[in-house]
Amino acid sequence: MIECEGLTKRFGHFTAVDHVSFKVAKGSIFGFLGPNGSGKSTVIRLLCGLLEPSDGQARIAGLEVARELEQIKGLIGYMSQKFSLYDELTAHENLSFYGRLYGLRGAALKQRYDQLVALTHIEPYLERRAGLLSGGWRQRLAMACSLMHHPTVLFLDEPTAGIDPVARRELWDLLFEFSSAGMTLFVTTHYMDEAERCSHVGYIHTSKLVVCGEPDELKQLPLVNPNDSRRIDVTCDHVTVGLQALRRLPGVRAATVFGQSMHLLVDKALAEEVIRAELAKAGIPRADVRPMAASLEDVFVALTAGRNGGAK
Amino acid sequence: MKVPFRGFSAILYKEFLVVFRDPLTLFFMFVPPLIQLVAFGYALDTDVKHIATLVFDEDRTRESRELIDQFVNTQTFRVVGEVRSIAELADAIRRGQAYVGLQIPPGFARDLQAGRTARIQVLIDGSNSSIASSSLNTALNVGFRQAMLQLAARTGGRELPVEVRPQILYNPEMRSPNFFVPGVIGLVLQIATMFAAAMSLVRERERGTLEQLMVSPLSRWGLMLGKLTPYLCISMLMAVGLIGIMQWVFNVPIAGDFSALLVATLLYVFALLSLGLLISTRAQNQIQALQMCMIFILPSVFFSGFIFPRETMPWIFYALGAVLPATYYIELQRAIVLRGASLGDFWLNIVVLAGMGLALFSLCALQFKRRIA
Repeated sequence: MIECEGLTKRFGHFTAVDHVSFKVAKGSIFGFLGPNGSGKSTVIRLLCGLLEPSDGQARIAGLEVARELEQIKGLIGYMSQKFSLYDELTAHENLSFYGRLYGLRGAALKQRYDQLVALTHIEPYLERRAGLLSGGWRQRLAMACSLMHHPTVLFLDEPTAGIDPVARRELWDLLFEFSSAGMTLFVTTHYMDEAERCSHVGYIHTSKLVVCGEPDELKQLPLVNPNDSRRIDVTCDHVTVGLQALRRLPGVRAATVFGQSMHLLVDKALAEEVIRAELAKAGIPRADVRPMAASLEDVFVALTAGRNGGAK
Repeated sequence: MKVPFRGFSAILYKEFLVVFRDPLTLFFMFVPPLIQLVAFGYALDTDVKHIATLVFDEDRTRESRELIDQFVNTQTFRVVGEVRSIAELADAIRRGQAYVGLQIPPGFARDLQAGRTARIQVLIDGSNSSIASSSLNTALNVGFRQAMLQLAARTGGRELPVEVRPQILYNPEMRSPNFFVPGVIGLVLQIATMFAAAMSLVRERERGTLEQLMVSPLSRWGLMLGKLTPYLCISMLMAVGLIGIMQWVFNVPIAGDFSALLVATLLYVFALLSLGLLISTRAQNQIQALQMCMIFILPSVFFSGFIFPRETMPWIFYALGAVLPATYYIELQRAIVLRGASLGDFWLNIVVLAGMGLALFSLCALQFKRRIA
C-alpha cells in the first residue's frame, strides 16, 4: 500500500531523511520508531505530499506521491503531531468542516458523521469547543476528523504523545478496529509498548532506516542475539548496586536497569548460579534470575549500538 | 477532474464561524479604526487660525491701535499680550509663548500722516512652517492693503482699484475634515483589513491547521477566496460605519452617489485583503506578518496624497505612490464625496483598483505553496 524507494530529503546541508526504503502491506499497522529529530515526521510529511523529496520516490496505492498528489489526497488521512483542530469551533463544527472540506454534503455527511461519533464515543462532547477538550478527547476528535472522508491509509504522527495511559490504550483499541476493517495505518511513536502492538515496525536513527520488519522476526536477528549469548532478567533489591557488580563480572556483555530489574546480555556459558553468587558477594542475597527473550527495545539498542560502533 | 474553487464553501463555513467566535479579532477589526477615524479626524487640522501674537506698540496712537485691529480682524492672529522691549519679544517667541511678534516703532502715525514710509516689524517663528507661511502671507496682505488704502485716500478715492473675489468650490469653508476624513477612512480601512487577512492565514500556519488543509483536496483558489470573503463582508460593514461617522460626526456631506462610493470601497478592500493574504503566504509567524504589513502602511500615509499633494513630490516618491491602492482610493473618494464625481469621471482609478485586486489575488493563490518546503 505504501512503498518508498531511496526516499531522501535534504534541508540545505542537513539530510533529514537518507535513502529510506520500505513497504507497508494493506491492512497492516506500521509502527515507525526513532528518537526525536531522527526524521520520523519528515518521512510522514514526504508520504503525505507536504514535502517534496530531494531524491527517491514514494508511492501510495501505486500512485506516485510527488506527481499524482491530487488523486492521493482523497485516499489518505493525516493526523499531525500537534493536531490541527480549530479551537474556537465545537467538536461538531470541526467534524462538519473536515467533512465538507472533502466534499461531503447532506446525507452522506450526516451518515459518516454519525458513524464516527459512534465509533469514537465523542457524543457527550459534541457541543464543546475543541480548545476546551482534554488531551485524550482531542485526539479522538482529531482522529474522527481525519477519518471523515473514508481514507484507506491513515498517517498518525505521535498520536499518543502527552495523553494519559487509559486514553492511550483506548486509542490503540480504535486503531486495531480500523486495521481489521482493512485500513492501512502508519504510526510514529517512541513508546516501545506501542511498537510491540504493531504488525510491522521500522526504526529510523540519524536519518537512516536501521531496520524494518515484523517484531518477532526482528527479535531473532543475529545482530540482536550475537553468537553464544543469551538474555537474562534479574529481579532483586538495590538494582543499581547489583548493576555495578555485574558489569565487572566476566561473561556479562551488557547490563541495563529496567525498573526493579536488570536486563543482561551474557555469554551462553555463564551459569545463573554465578550471577546469584556475584550478587550475594555484593550484599544482595536474594535475586530472581531468569532467561528472557529480546524485547523490541533490546533490538533497537543492539542495532543502534552496532551502527555507532561501525562508525568508529 | 479539476475544480478551481474546490473546498471554498467549507472554508467559508469555517471562517465565518471562527470570525464570529473570536470576539478579540472582531474587536480589533472594528474598534481601533473607529477610534483612529475620530482621533485623526479631529487632530489633522491644517486651518491655521488665531495664531498667538505678542504686540510691542511703541507708538501708542490711534493709528497704531487701528493697525493692530486690522491684524486681529484677519482672524489669523490673536493677541495674547503686550511686551515692553524687543528683547522681551524675542525671548517670548523663543520660549514658545507666541509664534508672532508685532512691533510698531515710535513715529508710526507721524510718518503715516507725513506721507513717508511708515515701518513696522513682524517677527515670525519659522520652526512651524505652516504657521510661519500663513503668518507671513497674512501680515504682508494687511500691510499691502493699508498701503493701497493710503494711496487711494491721497488721490481722493475711497475704493481699491482692483479687488479679488475668490470663490472656493466644493469645500467653501475650507474645512480640514472635508479634506482629511475621506483620506483617513482609506487609511484605517487599510490597516484593519490588511492585518486581519494576513493574520488569519498565518495563525493557521502557526497552529498547524494549515498542514491539515494542505493534505486535503482543497484548491488554493478555494482556500484564498474562502478566507477573503468573510473579511470582505466585515470590511464593507465597517466602511459603511466609517462613512456614517464622516457624514454625521464630522458633517462632511457626500456630494456624489453613495453606491459609487460603495463600489470604490469594495474594490479597494478586495485589493487590500488580497495584499494581506499575499503577505501571509510569505510570513512564517504573526510577528513577520505584522512587520510586512507595516512596510505598506507607512508609505500609504506619506505617499498616497493623503496629507501632502503627490504632484510636488520627487519622482521616486511619486512613483511609489502610484503602486499603492490607497493612492487611487483616496483620490476617488475625495472626488465622489467632495466634488460629486461619478465613477465614469474616474474610470481609470476604478480600473487600476480592480486590476490591482485581481492581480494580487491571483498572485497570492499562485504563490501559495502546497508544500511546506
